[in-house]
Amino acid sequence: MNNPADIKYLISCYLDGEVTLEEKRIVEDALRKDPALKKYLDDLKKVSASLSSWTDENLSPDLEQKLERHIQSAGKGEGRTMTTSSFSIPMKTGAAAVAALLVLITVFINIERNEQLARLKSIRQVNEQIALSTLDSKQSQSSDQPVPSPVYGQKGQTEIQPLALREQEKYEADVLSDKLMAPVTEKKIDEGFFRIEQTAGERADKSKVDRVAKAETPKTLEMRATEIAGAMQAEPYKEANRRNIAVARSTESVASTKDGYLSSSAGPAQYYSLGGQIPAAPYPSKGRISDGEMYYPISPAENFNTEEYDRIYENAFLSSVENPLSTFSIDVDTASYSNIRRFLNGGQMPPKDAVRIEEMVNYFVYDYPQPASEEPFSITTEAAPCPWNPSHVLALIGLKGKELTAVEAKPSNLVFLIDVSGSMDEPNKLPLLQSAFRMMVNQLKADERIAIVTYAGAAGLVLDSTQGNEKPTILSAIDHLQAGGSTAGGAGIQLAYDVAKRNFIPGGNNRVILATDGDFNVGVSSDSELVRLIEEERDAGIFLTVLGFGTGNYKDAKMEKIADKGNGNYYYIDSINEAQKVLMHELGSTLFTIAKDVKVQIEFNPAHVKAYRLIGYENRMLAKEDFNDDTKDAGELGAGHTVTALYELIPADSGEEVQTTDELRYQKREAIPSNEVMTVKLRYKKPEENTSRLITRILNRQDISQSSVSDNWLFASSVAEFGLLLRDSQYKGNASYQTVLERAQPAKGQDPWGYRAEFIHLVEKAGMLNPGPTPVPVYMNK
Amino acid sequence: MSKQDEELIAEYQQGNDEALNMLFHRYKMPVFNFALRLLGNRAEAEDAASEVFLVLVSKKEAYQPKAKFSTWLFTVTRNACIDRIRKRKNIFSLWFTNSSGEQEQWEIPDDDGETAAEHAARRETAHQVKSVIELLPPMQKEALILREYQGLKYEEIAHILGCSLENVKVLIFRARERLRVELASSILEDGDE
Repeated sequence: MNNPADIKYLISCYLDGEVTLEEKRIVEDALRKDPALKKYLDDLKKVSASLSSWTDENLSPDLEQKLERHIQSAGKGEGRTMTTSSFSIPMKTGAAAVAALLVLITVFINIERNEQLARLKSIRQVNEQIALSTLDSKQSQSSDQPVPSPVYGQKGQTEIQPLALREQEKYEADVLSDKLMAPVTEKKIDEGFFRIEQTAGERADKSKVDRVAKAETPKTLEMRATEIAGAMQAEPYKEANRRNIAVARSTESVASTKDGYLSSSAGPAQYYSLGGQIPAAPYPSKGRISDGEMYYPISPAENFNTEEYDRIYENAFLSSVENPLSTFSIDVDTASYSNIRRFLNGGQMPPKDAVRIEEMVNYFVYDYPQPASEEPFSITTEAAPCPWNPSHVLALIGLKGKELTAVEAKPSNLVFLIDVSGSMDEPNKLPLLQSAFRMMVNQLKADERIAIVTYAGAAGLVLDSTQGNEKPTILSAIDHLQAGGSTAGGAGIQLAYDVAKRNFIPGGNNRVILATDGDFNVGVSSDSELVRLIEEERDAGIFLTVLGFGTGNYKDAKMEKIADKGNGNYYYIDSINEAQKVLMHELGSTLFTIAKDVKVQIEFNPAHVKAYRLIGYENRMLAKEDFNDDTKDAGELGAGHTVTALYELIPADSGEEVQTTDELRYQKREAIPSNEVMTVKLRYKKPEENTSRLITRILNRQDISQSSVSDNWLFASSVAEFGLLLRDSQYKGNASYQTVLERAQPAKGQDPWGYRAEFIHLVEKAGMLNPGPTPVPVYMNK
Repeated sequence: MSKQDEELIAEYQQGNDEALNMLFHRYKMPVFNFALRLLGNRAEAEDAASEVFLVLVSKKEAYQPKAKFSTWLFTVTRNACIDRIRKRKNIFSLWFTNSSGEQEQWEIPDDDGETAAEHAARRETAHQVKSVIELLPPMQKEALILREYQGLKYEEIAHILGCSLENVKVLIFRARERLRVELASSILEDGDE
């Protein structure tokens, strides 16, 4: 008869008995004919039943008594009734309620407000203390580390500003979209309560909102996918993605339900963590379609989801006879980890393709030694039996970038390119960025510069490049950032780069920082043009970093790619803590690129290693010839940063079979006897140079530890194991949440910022979402 | 045979306070729990509920018999809640912890005759249900709560929300769809809950 959605809709009404006789007949007919619909009805009944688990609560007894008392003494107000009887009240009952409320204000509302403010104040104080204490402990960690001056200066005086009180109240337009067949309601219920309004600006926003939120049919997604794939095709970087790592542009977007996960396309609440508080999504702001397709796509089947992840094909075990060389580019993106955190905090398993193990491992800082004099970084190697497969060996390779002293740290010239489209108006997006931004501003030095360019809304140059000591000017500009407004095309990334160029600091940290929730309408006409622009500017010395926010419209794959192109990093900001971490500790002058185009190439000795598997880095693989090719782009390393890679090795004497080709007829393969297991080679360029330098490090047989391993190894391996579990990797062996915790917990170390403890927490959460035969122990010492 | 709401309110307006008291006791749970589910925390819900009842205390004519008493009452409650939510967001939304801030301490009142295991299972379900409902867009959330927890007819819901009947049907349908999908793995797969 009609389309399936209609029938289901009728079934929902039928369940409540709200159908006409005609409709009832139609439904009962359909139910008889189609067992799937019968199941649907049963599901709805089950849903209703489950709702009843959330039972009512009682009022507090004293409140009840208080109210009773008020009611009983209501009769004393005889006089009032006389006067009101002649008072002709406007027929909107809400207005009447407001009048009553005004009368009550001095008695009731003031008390309430003071209580509320006191509560809020105490919450803020607690928060300041948390922030103060965490900063303090970080400071005391090591004295040779160039720690930025604390943002929280004097005690009690905080630089955290609350959201600027808007001078003009923004009324939420709870717009009923045309889909809902009702005319847009412009009913004014009442001044004091709730106004439903829609300004012209909001209508304009809505059309843009519609564009994104409208159900993306599989066809449109396909089309866009091929367009982007085509753009990537043209790029040399694509070469890095060949070999056995075909990166297929997947519009499947999230884990399919056949994997047993919840359709995690339905996004979790937007979270920002303040010591564990997780607020729920508030009312949407103006111009939003109220049925929620903007935030929380309903299900993969309906294709409303616009979150996108590239599919990852895991690195397989490669025979070291056939493939003695493993080559990859280093990666210090960490977005995958914060993204995973977002899902787990929301009570869901992350989609497998959102799990990039190398980013998870690299989210944490490891305790590798400082490099010796000349070199910009040190290489550490460590190997021990693989925890999830004891017949294998897990080899860790760690790089540590040289720390810069305060004197050496080069100043920054930063241009923030901020998406101010309507969708950025949520608390976990623009306001979150603003808060973190303010904190960062406070530690800017006089010789540093900041500028702000906005796009996709009221676009343009909000703040021309300003020196770091003019804090009031900068803060004022931040306060005035507002999401929404009509789109002024054109202004955007080109403007941002121009500003950066005009204020270029030679030898400094010149960077454009793109902050968005997925909208790339930055004023260039196509993806390939965008990429080209970014690469050109990168070559001229202006790098690009991407900050991702929010859920639902989140273009993880795309953001990672463009950050790559720009020699920058890509961060996913899911909380004020993460925003702080990134803006203050990663983007400031403490992030200084000390080496660019850093590539790693490892040669394995077949006499000792039968086969090897690089864990993660699928998006970073390079062809072996690329290693020596200085024109090939690779990752960069910042001062003080660590990069970690893990290989799972199958020893030569293992009984395991590894796929190999036949013996060659015209060449003989001869291994050279040696105690060396593998050679780690590193190529890097100094930031201003274009010729690479080489560092080598060798791992010997005797270096493989059977007994003692460092905390670094323990922790890194536990993170990797967790990643394998989240991906449900075919290589996970005996991995389990339990063993992850067993290694992570003792290797937590000092953990001044609590990230490792948070990791442990996340593992526990994941463990609870996936109860196995053995329950996951919950660590109480948080 | 208990009196109708409209009868009671009329009596109150003529001066009988006891009538209001009866209405209060009749509606204290629905009003408070409606507010609680909208706002997510007890403190604000209690404030909102108080506000609603005190309106009647101070102004007898606040209610006019143009609509059902319960419709009016829920409308006022809803408005009070929306007002609070709006204030929350404007001023301190980044810092003010609402519902989930108290998630740790959220306890479900005991059901008689429940074993500890049953209680735990129910609490688990309730947590999930609560978190999914929290994520619903406002209108859907309100419509669903009024339907499933207050048992109101669509017509009345339409009056309270200020939209058309058709609209209410769609809102409830969508809310149920969302719930069905979100709760799929936990509620629907294991049939014996």
